[in-house]
Amino acid sequence: MSEILLKGKNIWKSFDGVHALKDIDIEIEKGKIICLAGENGCGKSTLVKILSGVHQPTKGTIEIEGEEITNLTPIKAIEKGIQVIYQDLSLFPHMSVAENIAMNHMVRSREKFIDKKEIEKIAKEQLEKIGANLDINMPVRNLSIANKQLVAIARALSLDTKILFMDEPTTALTKKEVSKLLKIVVGLKEKGISIVFISHKLNEVFEISDQITVIRDGIKVGDFSAKELNPKSLSFYMTGREIGHGRYRKPEKTENVLELKNLTKTNNYTDINIELEKGDILGITGLLGSGRTELALSIFGLNAPESGEILVEGKKVEIKSPVDALDNGIALLPEDRLTQGLFLDSSEKVNITATILDKIKNKFGILNSKEEKVLAKNTVNKVNVNNKNIDLKVRNLSGGNQQKIVLGKWMVTDPKVFILDAPTVGVDIGSKSEIYEKIQDSARDGMGIILISDELEEIMANCNKVAIMHEGKIIKALNESDLDKEGIEEEMFNIINNSKRGEIVE
Amino acid sequence: MNKILNRKIKPMEKYLMLILVVYIGIVSMTSKNFLTMNTLIDLLKSSSGTLILAAGVLVVLISGGIDVSFTAVAVVAAYCSIRISMMLGIDNLFFIMLVSIILGGIMGAINAIIIQTLKISTFITTLGTSSIFYGFMTTFVGTESISVADKPSALLAFGSARVFNIPTFFILAVLILILTWFILYKTMLGRTIFAIGNSEESASRVGINVFKTKLFVYTYMGVLSGIMGVVYFSEIDLINPISLVGTELMIIAAVVIGGIRLTGGDGTILGAILGVSIIQIFKSTLVFLGLSTSWNDLFIGLILIISVSIISYGERKSNKEKLIFTK
Repeated sequence: MSEILLKGKNIWKSFDGVHALKDIDIEIEKGKIICLAGENGCGKSTLVKILSGVHQPTKGTIEIEGEEITNLTPIKAIEKGIQVIYQDLSLFPHMSVAENIAMNHMVRSREKFIDKKEIEKIAKEQLEKIGANLDINMPVRNLSIANKQLVAIARALSLDTKILFMDEPTTALTKKEVSKLLKIVVGLKEKGISIVFISHKLNEVFEISDQITVIRDGIKVGDFSAKELNPKSLSFYMTGREIGHGRYRKPEKTENVLELKNLTKTNNYTDINIELEKGDILGITGLLGSGRTELALSIFGLNAPESGEILVEGKKVEIKSPVDALDNGIALLPEDRLTQGLFLDSSEKVNITATILDKIKNKFGILNSKEEKVLAKNTVNKVNVNNKNIDLKVRNLSGGNQQKIVLGKWMVTDPKVFILDAPTVGVDIGSKSEIYEKIQDSARDGMGIILISDELEEIMANCNKVAIMHEGKIIKALNESDLDKEGIEEEMFNIINNSKRGEIVE
Repeated sequence: MNKILNRKIKPMEKYLMLILVVYIGIVSMTSKNFLTMNTLIDLLKSSSGTLILAAGVLVVLISGGIDVSFTAVAVVAAYCSIRISMMLGIDNLFFIMLVSIILGGIMGAINAIIIQTLKISTFITTLGTSSIFYGFMTTFVGTESISVADKPSALLAFGSARVFNIPTFFILAVLILILTWFILYKTMLGRTIFAIGNSEESASRVGINVFKTKLFVYTYMGVLSGIMGVVYFSEIDLINPISLVGTELMIIAAVVIGGIRLTGGDGTILGAILGVSIIQIFKSTLVFLGLSTSWNDLFIGLILIISVSIISYGERKSNKEKLIFTK
C-alpha cells in the first residue's frame, strides 16, 4: 500500500449549531489525484478549510504523514507541505508576477531583505516547472484569469509542496485552458505531488482523477474510482435524485424578435448576421476572445457597434445604453454575476425588484412596499431559490441560488429577448437543471433567448439553433436538423478548437 | 529618469512634474525674488515637516489603511517631551527627540492594537484616538504656550542649524525618505506592507503575520510624527500645542495627489514627494504672484480633484477597452 500523506478521521464541524460536516473520513495518498465532488453548500469547501488549518474541526483528528496534529493552523499546514489554491486565487493584484510567485518563498525563508534577482530567479524556475511562459514583470491585475491561475499554481509549488488543494480551478477557464491546466496537474502527479480537486464540471473530474470522493449534505457518500462512475451515477450520488435534461425543440416557425444585420466592431466582431425568432434558444459558443461576450454587450448597449443594424420585432432600434436595451425589451444576464449581476449586500427582494422599480412606484416616486414584497415572493418561488426569506442578503446564498436571483430579476421585466452569458458557471448540477428548465419554459412562452456558453452539453440540451464564433466571426451556423445529426457534438468540438485564423468552416 | 528609478516613470508622476516645472517657470518670470537662495532655503525648511509626515502617511496608505491621528500624535509627543525636559532641566536635543519618538511610537502602537484586536476601521480608530491623545494632553499636561524666552535652547539651536547652508531639518527629512524607501522596497517587511494593502486575506493565507506588519506601520507613523513634532516646534518661535492639529487632511491630500491609492497596495515615494512639493510650493509662492493666501485652499482643492480624476479616467478607459464595467 502506498504512503498516506494526510488523513482526516471522524471529522465533524458545526457552525452555530448547524452541522456542516458529519463524521467524514478522508485519506490522501501520495501522488494521487483526488476529486471532491458535491453540490454547492455540501461541505466540501469546509472540509478543505479544515484540512488546511483555516477552520478547526468540532470533533475528529487530522494526521499528517502518520503524525497526529492538534490545532492545525494555516502556517503549520504550509510548513507540512499543504497548499491551497482558493477559487479567488488570493493573489496580490498590484504586485508583479515575479513578486507574487516568490511571496510564499520569501515569507517562509525569513530573509530580512529583498533580493530582486533572487525573486526573478524563483519566479522563472517555478514557471518553468509548470511549463508556463509569462512576463514576470507584469502586474498580476493585467493578466487573464487563466494566467492568474498559473501564477497561483507556480506560487503554491515554490515551497516543498506535497499536497495541493485546488478549489474549483476550472470554472472561469475555456476548454483549451482547462486541458492545459489538467496537463500541468498530471505532470505534478508524476512528480509525486498529491492533488485534491474540488470541481463541478463532471467530465474534467473523470479525465484525470484516481479517486472521486462524493459528499452530500455534509456526509461522505463514498470513495469511488473513476471507472466505477459515469456522469449519470455521479450526479445521482451528488444530488440524491435522477437528473436528465431533454433536448429543447421549438414547435413551429414564428416571427423574428431580434435581427442583427452586418453588425461590426473592429477588434471585437465582424459582419454578424443573426435572426432570432420568438421561442428560439440560440446557442452562441466559441473560445474566449471569439467575440461572443463583446457581441452580447453590444446588444445590451454597453459596447457600441461601429456599423450594422439591430432590429427588434422588425423595427430598427438604436441601443446606446442598458436603459435603451430595457426599453426595447432586451435583458442580459452577465458573465460575472458577483460584480455585474447582483448587489451582494442587499436582500433578495431589493435585487429582484431593481429592474422594475418604475412599475412599483406611485406618481410621487415612492415605492409600494407591499407590491414589492409580493413581486419578490412570487419570483423567489418561481425560480425556486432554496432560501425563501426575501430579506436575506444575497451574499449568503450559494452560487446556484444567486444565479437564480439574477435570472428572476430579469424574468420579472418580461423581456422579449433574453441574453444569458455563461449562466451556469460555478453552479451545481441541481440548480443547473432548474435553470435550464426556467430558460426552456420562458422560450416556450415566446421569449427569444440567446445562450452563450462554453459547455457543449449545455448548448446541446437547450438550444434549437447554434452559432459558433471564432475571432469575431460566425464560422458555423447550425439549425435544428443539423443538431439532430449523429456525432454533431464532436464535430462542433473540433470546429471550436481547430479553427485556424480566418478560416471559414463550411 | 527611468534609469535612476530603476522602473518606468508613472504617467501621474510625469504630469505632476510638468505642473511643477510650468508653475515654477511662471512664478520665476513674474517675480525676481522667487529664484533666490533665501527663498529656496525657506522652502526646503518649511517643507521638511510635511515630508516627514508624508513618508509615514505613504506607508499607512500602502498598507491599505488611513491614519488621521498623526498631527495629534506629533503635537502631544513633542509638547510632552519638551515639558518633561524642562521639568528635569535637561536641555538636550537628543533627549527631547528620543522621548518624543518613544511617546509617538507608543501612541502609534496603540492605534495598531485597537485596529487589530477590535477590528475597527483604521479611519474610525485614528479619528477616535486623535481625540483621546489630544484630550489626554489638554487634561493632564495642559496647553500652556512656551515662549521663546522659556524654550529649551537646544531647540532654538536646532531651528537655525544648517549644514553647508542646507537646513538640518531638510537633511533629516531626506534621511527619513531614504529610510522609508529602503524599508518599502528593499526589505521583506516592506513587501508584507504592500501585500496586506493588496489583500489582507491573501496575505494571511501565504503566512504573513498581518498584526506584526500593522504594528510596524502604525508605530512607524507614530515615530515619524514624534520626530516631526520636535522639528515643528523648533521651527516656530512660540510653542503652541493647539496648532498643527487639523492639518492632517491636507497632508493626506498631498500624498493622494502623488497618485497613491487610498485602497492600498500601490504607491511610490516619488509620487508622495511630488504631491508634497506641489502643495508646499503653492502655499509659499502665491505671494509672489500677488495673490492672497486665501487662494491656497482653492488651488489645492482643484489640483486634488483634477489629479485623482486623471487617474480614475485612465483606469476607466482601460477597463472599458477590456469590457470591464465594474469601476
